[in-house]
Amino acid sequence: MSEAVVAHNRLIAPGYYRMGLQWKSPGVTPGQFIMLRVSADSLDPLLRRPFGVYDVLRGAKGIEILYRVVGRGTKIMSTLRPGDMADIFGPLGNGFPAVKDPGRAVMVAGGMGIAPFYMLAKDILKRGENAALFYGARGRTDAAIATDFRKLKGLKVEVATEDGSMGEKGLVTDIFGKKAVWLAGEASVVYACGPSGMLKEVARISKKNGLRCFVSLERAMACGIGVCLGCAVRTGKTAGKGTDRKKYGMVCSDGPVFPGEDIEWESL
Amino acid sequence: MKKTKESTLAVDIAGIKLKNPVMTASGTFGYGSEFMPYTDLEKLGGIVVKGLSLKPRQGNPSPRIVETPCGMLNAIGLQNVGVEAFISEKLPKLKGVDTAVVANIFGETIDEYMEVAKRLDASDGVSGIEINISCPNVKKGGIVFGTDPGEAAKVVGAVKKSTRLPVITKLSPNVTDIKLMAKAVEDAGTDAVSLINTITGMVVDIEKRRPVLATSTGGLSGPAIRPIAVRMVWQVSQAVRVPVIGMGGIMTAKDALEFIIAGASAVQVGTANFVDPNIAVKVAEGIAEYVERHGTTVKELVGSLTTG
Ligand SMILES: Cc1cc2nc3c(=O)[nH]c(=O)nc-3n(C[C@H](O)[C@H](O)[C@H](O)COP(=O)(O)OP(=O)(O)OC[C@H]3O[C@@H](n4cnc5c(N)ncnc54)[C@H](O)[C@@H]3O)c2cc1C
Ligand SMILES: Cc1cc2nc3c(=O)[nH]c(=O)nc-3n(C[C@H](O)[C@H](O)[C@H](O)COP(=O)(O)O)c2cc1C
Ligand code: FES
Repeated sequence: MSEAVVAHNRLIAPGYYRMGLQWKSPGVTPGQFIMLRVSADSLDPLLRRPFGVYDVLRGAKGIEILYRVVGRGTKIMSTLRPGDMADIFGPLGNGFPAVKDPGRAVMVAGGMGIAPFYMLAKDILKRGENAALFYGARGRTDAAIATDFRKLKGLKVEVATEDGSMGEKGLVTDIFGKKAVWLAGEASVVYACGPSGMLKEVARISKKNGLRCFVSLERAMACGIGVCLGCAVRTGKTAGKGTDRKKYGMVCSDGPVFPGEDIEWESL
Repeated sequence: MKKTKESTLAVDIAGIKLKNPVMTASGTFGYGSEFMPYTDLEKLGGIVVKGLSLKPRQGNPSPRIVETPCGMLNAIGLQNVGVEAFISEKLPKLKGVDTAVVANIFGETIDEYMEVAKRLDASDGVSGIEINISCPNVKKGGIVFGTDPGEAAKVVGAVKKSTRLPVITKLSPNVTDIKLMAKAVEDAGTDAVSLINTITGMVVDIEKRRPVLATSTGGLSGPAIRPIAVRMVWQVSQAVRVPVIGMGGIMTAKDALEFIIAGASAVQVGTANFVDPNIAVKVAEGIAEYVERHGTTVKELVGSLTTG
């Protein structure tokens, strides 16, 4: 809906790009997302693609997104060059809630789910609060996208890779699980983003240990503003009576961030 | 000057006065007010709101949508707030907005259709009713009315008895001969027809060997269906005397003009609203530009197609 200009579109690891977009954006809350039309007037792909805001450009002159090429839309995006026009809609969604005086803010990210945490981590550190990132990736090349997080002063970063080529071998939920009791002692708050199986496990571990947990979900989207009712997730709060009276939340407008205990994970 | 401009674009659909022939399609524009931050509703001929039922409906399990070449499939399951909440919470937000508001309705029984129509009749701020007899998404009802001329006629007759508002019947393309359906609802007293609703389709996830949509099938919309929609509008406009409203894949003024020239008195923009929430206004502006360039009026353009 609003015109943006591509400032940069850098390959940062095989298949991963960071795109800067000069854009008169209204203020962005960490965890919010934008929808990008991958090519103007294109009928195929027709729908906009959602991307979390990775960072705000210096002087609030725009935003940056971190994306992985997975299909046709992101492939086309990877061919955009500085100076090209881009069509952005947003920022959309609720973003991560700021929790008052957390003992520590713990971010748990799986794969591309790391994208919205850069802004969040910077915000938390700026407030002088403690922050930690648990990051899980398939291997060394994917884990390379966490490099910038290591440069954030005061952020504790722990990595797990499935093939063991970097950090601990295993899943991010393993390293998070091992620290959960200790984190609970600190009255930490947990923010998680990644594949739904991972989020479900983070929510379970958090609940078991009495940790407050917020998850950022992903669903196929069309409108991004809560009108097509396409991006529904079952939030488990029953409204009314009868078996088909389960309430659905819209990931785009009620989310993408939800309290972990609100999600009916079996439905995802 | 302004006056002549308005009259070259204005159309009247069975008493529903539209300042231009562009409306937004049901299910793609929420209850209207959601779009206020993104577009000027007063530049639209009208708004058709999300399908309303007697009771609120929660809709289908997820995934509900999937993109397809030049289009998308949806199986929302007619999730809506219900007619009462629409009247008390949504409709007041459109008060004072100078555009026609059409309420799209559906039911699982003829009584439900009648009841929803009655409540809307008693409300303030609705210019007309569009009956959805054609939603392919819901297992119970819907499909039955829209594909059987006898059942469709019964619904239309019943709704007509329940309201003084102009009644538009929205036709399903999932039939062998859409002219038959159009004639059946015309005979039953509909004041206008609109078409097309979505075309039933399916996408398979080959890794999981499962349908992508939780309900297996869904309704196809977007530019992919436009030529089918234009053909059906052309056929129906020749078969009935009541005004025809055309829709299906409209993205631009050119697309809309195809429908108008083929026989539509007005058009609705649907899926395109998801791509650009201001697109319907752009379509209206493009039509105005065309009308001016050709020194004509929308009314003259309707059905001006030459064949053979
Ligand atoms: C709120 C939100 C924030 C997101 N943030 C980011 C981000 O910061 N960085 C990033 O790289 N990606 C992000 N995504 C995912 C991104 O939108 C998809 O990767 C993108 O739409 C794929 O487009 P495509 O045309 O390349 O792929 P397609 O050709 O459409 O699909 C290729 C593959 O990707 C899958 N896919 C398509 N759409 C999605 C989707 N919305 N979510 C998950 N899988 C999908 C398909 O099932 C298919 O397997 C986000 C998604 C959401 C909903
Ligand atoms: C997400 C979605 C929801 C829809 N919901 C309704 C509805 O509630 N009632 C109805 O009559 N039509 C509904 N439709 C159909 C549209 O109003 C329209 O007939 C159809 O999408 C074709 O137009 P388009 O290609 O411009 O979208 C819906 C379409 C979509 C894409
Ligand atoms: S994407 Fe349309 S409601 Fe969420």
